[in-house]
Amino acid sequence: MSFTTTTHDDHDHGHGHGPAVEGAENPGGHHEPAELRDHKERLALWMFIGGDALFLILMVFSWFYLRTLNSNGMWDAAQCTTANPCEDGLGNPIVAQITRADPWHAVIIAGLTILAAGFVWLAEIGAKKNTTKGAISGPAGIAFLFMVLAIAMQIYQFQVLPFTTIDGGYASTYEFFMGSTLAHLLILAFIGLGLWIRSSRGRHAGGTWYRVRLIRFFAVWVALSTVILTVVGSLFA
Amino acid sequence: MTTALAPPLLEDTKLGPNAGGLYERLNIWTGLGFGIFLGFVAWVVSHATLQGSNWGSDMVVTCTMLGWVIGFNIGIGTFNAPIRWMLGHDQTHEDELYVAGVGQGRHRYLKYCTDHKVVGTQYLVLVMVLFAVGGTLAMMIRTQLITAHSSFLDPQTYNAIVTVHGMVMIIATIVMVSGPFANFIMPIMIGAKDMAFPRLNAMSFWVIFSAVPCILATFFLGGVNAGWTTYAPLSVQAPPAMDAFAMCIIVFVVSVTVAGVNTIVTVVTMRAKGMTMGRLPIFTWGSIIGAGLGLYAMPAFLLAMTMMITDRVTGTSFFVAAYGGSGWLWENVFWIMGHPEVYVILIPPVAAVLEIASTFARKPVFGYKVAIAGFVAIASLAIMVWAHHMFTTGWAPNLAGPFMLTTELISIPTGIIFLCTIGTLWKGSIWTRLPMYFVYLFIWNFIIGGVTGIYLSDVPADQYFHGDMFVTAHFHYTLLGGAMIGATAAVCYWFPKMSGRMLNERIGKVAFWLIAIGIQVTYFGQFWEGFQGMPRRVAYYDPQFLSANQMSTIGAYTLMAGWLVFLYMMLHGWRNGKIAPANPWHSKTLEWKVPTPVPLENFLVDPVVTSDPYTYGEGVPDGQEVPDFAPSDDPELVPAGSAGSGAQTDAGGDH
Repeated sequence: MSFTTTTHDDHDHGHGHGPAVEGAENPGGHHEPAELRDHKERLALWMFIGGDALFLILMVFSWFYLRTLNSNGMWDAAQCTTANPCEDGLGNPIVAQITRADPWHAVIIAGLTILAAGFVWLAEIGAKKNTTKGAISGPAGIAFLFMVLAIAMQIYQFQVLPFTTIDGGYASTYEFFMGSTLAHLLILAFIGLGLWIRSSRGRHAGGTWYRVRLIRFFAVWVALSTVILTVVGSLFA
Repeated sequence: MTTALAPPLLEDTKLGPNAGGLYERLNIWTGLGFGIFLGFVAWVVSHATLQGSNWGSDMVVTCTMLGWVIGFNIGIGTFNAPIRWMLGHDQTHEDELYVAGVGQGRHRYLKYCTDHKVVGTQYLVLVMVLFAVGGTLAMMIRTQLITAHSSFLDPQTYNAIVTVHGMVMIIATIVMVSGPFANFIMPIMIGAKDMAFPRLNAMSFWVIFSAVPCILATFFLGGVNAGWTTYAPLSVQAPPAMDAFAMCIIVFVVSVTVAGVNTIVTVVTMRAKGMTMGRLPIFTWGSIIGAGLGLYAMPAFLLAMTMMITDRVTGTSFFVAAYGGSGWLWENVFWIMGHPEVYVILIPPVAAVLEIASTFARKPVFGYKVAIAGFVAIASLAIMVWAHHMFTTGWAPNLAGPFMLTTELISIPTGIIFLCTIGTLWKGSIWTRLPMYFVYLFIWNFIIGGVTGIYLSDVPADQYFHGDMFVTAHFHYTLLGGAMIGATAAVCYWFPKMSGRMLNERIGKVAFWLIAIGIQVTYFGQFWEGFQGMPRRVAYYDPQFLSANQMSTIGAYTLMAGWLVFLYMMLHGWRNGKIAPANPWHSKTLEWKVPTPVPLENFLVDPVVTSDPYTYGEGVPDGQEVPDFAPSDDPELVPAGSAGSGAQTDAGGDH
């Protein structure tokens, strides 16, 4: 491998050796051009979202797999009656009846998550325009509020479900969907709280608006995954 | 090459008394202390509130393990930066330098340190410890099997040991190259000053570190008797040890995912000027393709283990047929992870072997682009073969043919990469030093492992071999004889750069022969057992299998002796080895152009790459011998007037 050299400051992206570059968020940390930081962080986030999407796909696969197999009739047998007996995928008689979850709870949670993502988007627009810090922290605060409401609603849904985890494949998978949504909402709320606090301290105005965009990407993904799970859990029960 | 005046070394920076903040007080001991404390609190609270409920013991174990993992990571400092970010208190320049290890000497190896070389060294030590644990368990297994009805272990303990041996080795082999070498070596190889996300890098190490005690704890919680594949419903019915086992995997997945993302982002965004993707050293390609495949496989592992733990702790029924679940669901989700995972293990060491072969043959990698295409093809096919593990389960018999086809197709790119390795050595001016011994052994073992794999991909043959010792011999030839020996070659090759010292090759050759002979005797013995029809995972067996088992056990003891000699060689080299020159192998790739020990941020002057990585013999007229070695051992990427090597450039003044 042939190579030549440049001076150190031309291409600095390490532990802070070299002059601070405009756009770097941390004045003492990794002095990198904002473009490079944005590129790195966006790529990493897309990969994390990609991994999360695979997790989601496999959850949905599990749902349809167990629903189709309907082992021992323990999926959701509410539509089966004595006059209209059913069989599971293996030809066994269905022996259990389970009440479905109220879809409106999931719809409300999805709606709150969409609203949270929308307000994060507004915060991003404020950051990009480099306006007052209130233009960022205001929408960020409202977004965080919606995240908290979504979490509260998710916990409430757990409490009012007409079944428990032991009630078969449908109940198991539905509650797993809810748990996954709750975990995502908790992570989003942590980031949302950070966005709110940081934007209140003027951390996200101007050159680092792309950081808010990263949060928006994640918030939109959480909203999208919540919608997908709501649709699957409600329409394909 | 032009040079610049020597800039001040970062490691010479005088830090203020408050540098590092909370990090200054945190180290592995505080991590252990917090972990044990929080684990204990979680145990007390969960025991008091949950023990009486359904699945109480499982809940208690899960809470305790979760408490340990969270506590350890609080105590080591994993959460410092995220919480400071959330509160808007970003780290200062001095904090960053402190966390990078400036002024901490050897202590930085026991702390949350963001320097990729420290993280790489930490991984190397962890991998050696894991291999020591897994190897000890393997010796217990082989000792049990030296007679047909040995009383050395009872069947329950034997099964628990088989399970933990399998999973500890899987964990160790997944990170054995991506941990030490993709961390320490690869950033320097591409001209980067560190990984793209140094804090995530440190996090990936300490998170996996906290996972290890969870799996070791299984021995004290009744043992997991389900094998490393933990097939349901056996694993759903296993003792509470299964909860600790699953928790270990969940935490491990977090670590591998973070590390994989970091590796790929580093290569895509942090390359030196002129280091195009077409100029990347082949090892870098292997690292990112392996990391990418890991990102595909790990979500399935996470889902499988999370569903498993919810079945056990909350009473869901994903895998319990009586309540609407299915064991086939486990097998599908597990093997959607499981077969790609084999290539996550295999691809990086194979790429390292190609790198080493090129250096010691003084030739470019033969078919460089074809080899990369081969890696990509393997990774692509690897995600379409999972059901070959289920040929005998009765699941979707109509799909057996297509899955047999995709599995057999994998042999084509694998064969191409094998040919690339042979082609690289062919007519080369081969310099047979210790790393090359292991390259030769890799080639021998890998072909045996590969060819026997084709038998198992064949549906009729698999009906006979499935679940017997033939399978065990096959995957040990592939993973130990192939991947692990490739990784061993990588250790021998990069050890001088990582430690600053040379290995004693005389001791190394003793280790090599013991290992080489040990592998053949051990696993030929197991092929013999398999042909005779001996099933896997049995503590007692019919006396007709005695001779083959005794052969395998004798081989295993030989193998163990070889690894012990190898370990001695490494420890001896680390402490007493000759001081290594900057480029002892006269290699062309960038990691050999920087001083040894490598300074913080690696490059005292930034490289601009102007050619491909394997320019051996360039400018030599036809018909003349390729000169083996450059005349100087001095590093080339140092400024004018700067020292070529020596401990004064090390971040902490020692290594």
